[in-house]
Amino acid sequence: MVIFRKLDTISYPTALGFALTSAVWMAIATFTGLLGATELIAPDLTSAWGWLEFGRIRPIHVNLVIFGFVGPGLFSAAVYILPRLLRTSLYSERLGVLTVSAWNITLLAATVSLSLGYSQGREYAEMVWPIDVLIVVGLLLLFFNLVMTVRKREEPVLYVSVWYMLAAVILTASTFALGNVIWQPSTGALAGIPDAIILWFYGHNVFGLFLTPLSIGVAYYVIPRACRAPLYSHTLSLIGFWALIVVYTHIGTHHLLQVPVPTWLKVIAIVDSVAMVIPVMAFLINIWYTVKGKLGEIHADIGARFIFSGTIMYFFVSIQGSMMALPDVQRVTHFNNWVVGHAHIGVLGFSGMIAIGGLYHVLPLMLRRPVYSLFLADLQYWLILIGVSGFAVVLTIAGLIQGNAWLNGETVYRVLSQIHVYYVIRASLGLMIFTGALIGVYNMVGTIWFRGEASS
Amino acid sequence: MKMTPLAVVVGSLLILGAVVFVAVILPTADTSNTPASDILRPRTPAENQGRALYIANGCVFCHSQSIRNIDWDLGAKRIARAGDYLMDRPILLGSERTGPDLSQEGGEHPDDWHTAHFKNPRITRPLSIMPAFAFLDQGSRNSLIRYVQGLGLKDADLRMKRQTYWKKESVRAYEAGPEANIRWLHDMVPEGWRKLPNPYPTTAAGLARGHKIYQDFCLGCHGPIGDGMGPAQADLYPPPLNFTILKGRGITGGILYYQIMNGITGTAMPYFKRELESEKIWDVGDFAAVYFINQSDAGGDPAGIDAAYE
Repeated sequence: MVIFRKLDTISYPTALGFALTSAVWMAIATFTGLLGATELIAPDLTSAWGWLEFGRIRPIHVNLVIFGFVGPGLFSAAVYILPRLLRTSLYSERLGVLTVSAWNITLLAATVSLSLGYSQGREYAEMVWPIDVLIVVGLLLLFFNLVMTVRKREEPVLYVSVWYMLAAVILTASTFALGNVIWQPSTGALAGIPDAIILWFYGHNVFGLFLTPLSIGVAYYVIPRACRAPLYSHTLSLIGFWALIVVYTHIGTHHLLQVPVPTWLKVIAIVDSVAMVIPVMAFLINIWYTVKGKLGEIHADIGARFIFSGTIMYFFVSIQGSMMALPDVQRVTHFNNWVVGHAHIGVLGFSGMIAIGGLYHVLPLMLRRPVYSLFLADLQYWLILIGVSGFAVVLTIAGLIQGNAWLNGETVYRVLSQIHVYYVIRASLGLMIFTGALIGVYNMVGTIWFRGEASS
Repeated sequence: MKMTPLAVVVGSLLILGAVVFVAVILPTADTSNTPASDILRPRTPAENQGRALYIANGCVFCHSQSIRNIDWDLGAKRIARAGDYLMDRPILLGSERTGPDLSQEGGEHPDDWHTAHFKNPRITRPLSIMPAFAFLDQGSRNSLIRYVQGLGLKDADLRMKRQTYWKKESVRAYEAGPEANIRWLHDMVPEGWRKLPNPYPTTAAGLARGHKIYQDFCLGCHGPIGDGMGPAQADLYPPPLNFTILKGRGITGGILYYQIMNGITGTAMPYFKRELESEKIWDVGDFAAVYFINQSDAGGDPAGIDAAYE
């Protein structure tokens, strides 16, 4: 209980805990990404260590990015922002710190178990049953804390960020349990085609109901605050929120257009993947019109700059995503690096940039002192922006080479040597992103613990 | 619209419930009566062990098991049907093809090829970027091989039967000594091919192209000097052919072409008709003939109409 007594002397321990969680796991997650990218160009590099084998590293990378880096980064901002918007304090910091600790133990368990080969082999749902349960429990604890905070609020009106944060956490707890087929502990799977349908229902909603609404919630708070302007439209907030939950949730089958699933389900997925333009543009128009004429303020606030860049990435990744759901496009783009590029624009470019931006915006508010080094934050911004834009370019090129070659009857093996050079560039860009992550850890540790005035 | 906490939480949960009903429960009901397809058979315990290792080591992240009607590569002989997957829990469709689709991998190669390939994929496939699985014990690698050789189920069994039959034949021929082995190998080539010389004369450019193909496809087994002592040799039986023993034993460009195109089922020699077009096969055949056999009939008679390009 010594820890708890000490906790009372810290302000915002939960938000700080999630912030540190995000920064540290971002470094680990981007390192595993870099390692995997390196293994694709030097496959014998790690062959002496089975636990570093590509097929084990890849799910570690993916899960740590989602649940270790971006998720907790957005949780941190949410746990700080939500009480501010409701003119109250977090319901229970102790419960919050417990959640942070449990979440970190979960991440550690996930990393170790996957590297030892304990995997259920389903994308984004690889982790074994006990870890699945821990994640659901963590989400429910967080939801309980947020809902109780809402209940003791002084502010009667719920701002749009609050809607997104509440919905994201509870809906993700539900879809995570469903998608991991949590009632089947040994396999975590259904059999045959229904397993593919439920997996991609869930896999798609990891972005649709977890990363996206949390990112949007943070952007809705930081952007108007940074440019000192009221949000452009309440109506657009409403349309964006409900349209996101209606549309985003049921189009996961666009991952299965070339698989024997019921045609009617494919039709729904294709049509409403195009309809994704409604929630996407409702949010973007709302944010961009709020910023109209105030780009200077955005540029002056490093957190807002990350987030605004994230919204531009969201535009690209969403338009691209709608196009990729068209069967004719997918004949070329499916099964190759185009999709890997798309995933990086979405998770790193959009939600990852917003998670980092959220931290840079709220940390100084929490600690009542500026960011340790604005220069380092700026450097991190450029490293990640160039890294992720470069990913988009080289992985899209590699994907087009693969997709078109395959369509022309070339075998996978023959195309490998043609994309090698893009794999090399990708790994180099990965090194930039990993460097950015290390700078982020240093800057955050500096902001929290180095008492000295920040350098600029 | 007033956004109360109840409206947000209960409202979004209700929408999610409706979506789960339409996008998960209905399609599950819709597909629950899928009839078994013609290739379906239960997996053996060894195959199931191998499948568990396939999952544990994340093979699914680079290998799909999902053949589409636009595919040409490995497995494209059969477009996937819902009934193929009835026993797959989880289903391993995959989302990326860093390596080839494995739906119909069973029986494409004999077991000894897989033994070498799992130890280090580059010793059979020099350009491969697949991880080496030497870190798994031999028993685990054998389970993986059983699983992979069962991919395609009943279709795989047919191909395996073919491999087993020709393995016996090729081993018998090998053990009868070089003279008899070469005679057997040549006799197995259809007569038209046997008498056919390489229609294109040897050129420096053609040899350079052949060299490149040899390095990308052949080196791992036949070795850098064509003596059959490539790194895969230790695991293969019958061992890879030493090209030098072909000299003076009736080798022709046509025989080389046919064996490269068609492979020698039962041995580790795969077919290359899918990966190499005709000019590449002539070029690599002539490369082996010139450098390793030292006996090339390239550009010899009977010549037809002169090729506009050689």
